[in-house]
Amino acid sequence: MTTLALSRRLPWLTPGLLAWIAFLAVLLAIGGVAAAEVLLKGLEVTNLTDAVPWGLWITIDLSAIALGAGAFTLSAVVYLFGLKRFQSVVRLAVFIGFIGYTTALLTLVMDIGRPDRFWHPWVYWNVHSVLWEITWCITIYLLILIVEFAPIIVDLRFFERWPRLRSLGHRIHVAAPALALAGLLISLLHQSSLGATYGILRSRPIWFKPSMPIMFVISAIAVGPAVAMATTFVVEWITGKRKIEHDLLRTLARFSGLGLLLYAYIKIWDLAAVSYYGRTPASDTALFILRGQTPYNFGFWVGEMILGIAVPVILFLVPRFNRSPFYLSVGGGLAMLGIVFNRWNVTVSGLVVPLAYSPGTLFQPTPQPYIPNLTEWGVVIGVVGYALAMLTLGIRFLPLFPKPAPE
Amino acid sequence: MTEKKARGKKKTRVVVRLTRRDFLTMAGTAAASVVAAQALTTGPLSPFSELRQSQVSGEHPADGAAGTKHWGMSIDLGRCIGCEYCTRACTAVNDVKADEPWNIVVQERTDNGRSFFFSRPCLHCQHAPCVEVCPVGATFVRDDGLVVMDYDRCIGCRYCEVACPYDARRFNWEERSDENTFAPTWGLTEIDRRPRGVVEKCTFCVHRIDAGLAEGLTPGVDLEATPACVNICPVGARVFGDLNDPASPVSEVLASHPTFRLRQELGTEPSVYYIPPDEGIPS
Repeated sequence: MTTLALSRRLPWLTPGLLAWIAFLAVLLAIGGVAAAEVLLKGLEVTNLTDAVPWGLWITIDLSAIALGAGAFTLSAVVYLFGLKRFQSVVRLAVFIGFIGYTTALLTLVMDIGRPDRFWHPWVYWNVHSVLWEITWCITIYLLILIVEFAPIIVDLRFFERWPRLRSLGHRIHVAAPALALAGLLISLLHQSSLGATYGILRSRPIWFKPSMPIMFVISAIAVGPAVAMATTFVVEWITGKRKIEHDLLRTLARFSGLGLLLYAYIKIWDLAAVSYYGRTPASDTALFILRGQTPYNFGFWVGEMILGIAVPVILFLVPRFNRSPFYLSVGGGLAMLGIVFNRWNVTVSGLVVPLAYSPGTLFQPTPQPYIPNLTEWGVVIGVVGYALAMLTLGIRFLPLFPKPAPE
Repeated sequence: MTEKKARGKKKTRVVVRLTRRDFLTMAGTAAASVVAAQALTTGPLSPFSELRQSQVSGEHPADGAAGTKHWGMSIDLGRCIGCEYCTRACTAVNDVKADEPWNIVVQERTDNGRSFFFSRPCLHCQHAPCVEVCPVGATFVRDDGLVVMDYDRCIGCRYCEVACPYDARRFNWEERSDENTFAPTWGLTEIDRRPRGVVEKCTFCVHRIDAGLAEGLTPGVDLEATPACVNICPVGARVFGDLNDPASPVSEVLASHPTFRLRQELGTEPSVYYIPPDEGIPS
C-alpha cells in the first residue's frame, strides 16, 4: 500500500526513471567534458588529420539526418497522399526528425574549426557548393519541423497564459499540407545532396559515382519510418501502455522492409558497377587497398548488407517475425545500425585511400590511419545523450501519441 | 482552355474548382517567379554576379586578353635536385608550420627506375574543386588566376581539404605556439600566422605579387615580387610569371619545353606546368 501511496504522490518518478535520468546525466556530462576540451584546445585533440579530415562526427551527422527522415516521409504520406490512418504516428516521427536534425547540427558545430562562424553559410553564399545547399536545406527544414510541431507545443499547459500565441500556433498548422510539400522537396534534395557531397568529388575514385545521392536518399526513406516504429514499440514496452495500433506499426515495418529491399537492389547494382563493368584503374586500386588492408569488407558485408539490410528485411517482411514487437524493434535497431555503418564506411573509406597525383611510380598508396579517439567518442556519447534526453522529455511532457481510446 | 477543362472536371469525382480569378493568380505567380528567378540568377540582384563567369560556364578566360594576368609557374623535374630549399623558404616567409608544409618535395622514380624529385606548391587551378565546394566562398579564384583564402570567412569545415585532388591544403588544428625555426635563416616572415580552425595553403606569395605590382615591379622578373620558392631555387627549376604574357619568363620556358600538368583528366586546369625529366614520366 505504501508504494501505491508513493506512486500517487509522484506518479512519474519511478526508480527506473530515476536511474534512466542518472544515466542520461552521465552521458551528457561525458559529452560536456569532451566538448569543452574540443572548444578550448581546438580540433588538435581529435585523431583527425589533414589526410583524413572527416571522421566519426561526420558519420554521426549523416546518420542522424538520415534517421530523421521519417518526419518527411510520414508527413508526406499523411498530408500529401492523404493516408490519414498514419496520422497517429506523424507527431512522433516529426519529433524524432527534430531530434535528428538538432543532433546533427550540434555535432556539426563541434566539427567545424570555427564554431563562432556557424552562421557564415547563411550570409556568405556559394551557390556551387553542395554543403552550402545542405546547410540551407537543413535550416529551412528545421523551421518547417518547428512550425509543423507548433500546435503540439502551444497546447502545453504552460502556454495557457498566452491564448493568442496558442491560436497562432494552431493557425500556422493550417499550412501543414503546404509545409509537408515543401518539407518533402527540401528533404529529398538534402538527403540526396549529402550523398552528392561525396559523389561529386572527382579526385576520390571510391566516391565519384552517380549512385551516391540515390543510395543516400533511398536508405533514409527506408529507415526513417522504421525508427518511429521501433521507438513506439520501445516506449510501449517501457510504459506498458499501447500507444499506436500495432497494425499500423506493422505496415510501417513492411514499408521499411520494401524500402530496404529497393536499397539493397541499388546497392548490389552499384557494387557490380564499381567492381566489374564500370571499374577504373583508380577505383580498382582503391578497393584493393581497402579490402586488403582495412576492415572495409567486413563493414560492408556484415555491417551494411547482413545486419543493416538482410536481417531487418526478414524481420520486417516475414509474417512470423513481424507480428512480434520484439522482432520489429530489433529489426528497427539493426536497420539504424546499418545506416551508421554505411555512413561510416562511405566517409572513411573514401579518405583512407590517399590521393594519387604524383607523376612518378615510387609512390605506393598505403591507407592513412584513422581511429577515433576518446574525445571524439565523448562528444558522440554526449550527442546521443542529448537525443535520448530530448526523446524522454518529449514522451513525458508532449502529447506525441494520440489519446488512448477509453477502455 | 484551362477553365474549360476545370469545368469539365467538375462532373467527375475529383472536383477542381478553378475560377478565373484563381487561374489569373496562378498565371501571375508563375510569371512573377520566372521574372524573379531571372533577376536573382543573372540580374543585378543576383548573389552570384560576383562569381567569375569562367567558374559558372566552364569557359576559359581568353588567353592573352588585354590587361588580364594569369600567374603561373613551371617546375623542371629534370633540374630539381631535391634540396627542399623551396619548402624551407616557403615555410619561413609564410610562417607555415614545419610539419605541415605548403610546398612539398618527394623523391620519385621514372618507369626505368631513374629517380627524380617531384615538388608541389598549390597548383592554383582555374576550375578549382576546393573553390566549388566551399560553403561560404572563403576560397576563390581571383581574376589574375590565383586561388586564395579569406581567413576571416572560413568556417573550418575542411570540405576543400577533402575535395582538393592534390593534397595542397592544410588545416590549423590548434592555436600555434611553435617557433618557426626556418626564419630567419631561410627568409624573413612576411605574413601573419593563420588563426586556429581555418584552412590554409600556398598563395604563390600573393602578398609579394600585389605589393610588387603596386610598386611597378614585374612578378617573375623582380625578386621582391616573386614567390619565395622561385627565388631560392639554386638550380632554377622553378620559373614564375604571367602565362598571358608571351614575353614572361614562364611563357618562354613553356614555349621551349614539353610540359604536362598534374591529373589533367580531372579538368581542374592547374596553373603549374611540369617539365618531365629527360627519360619522361610514366604514362
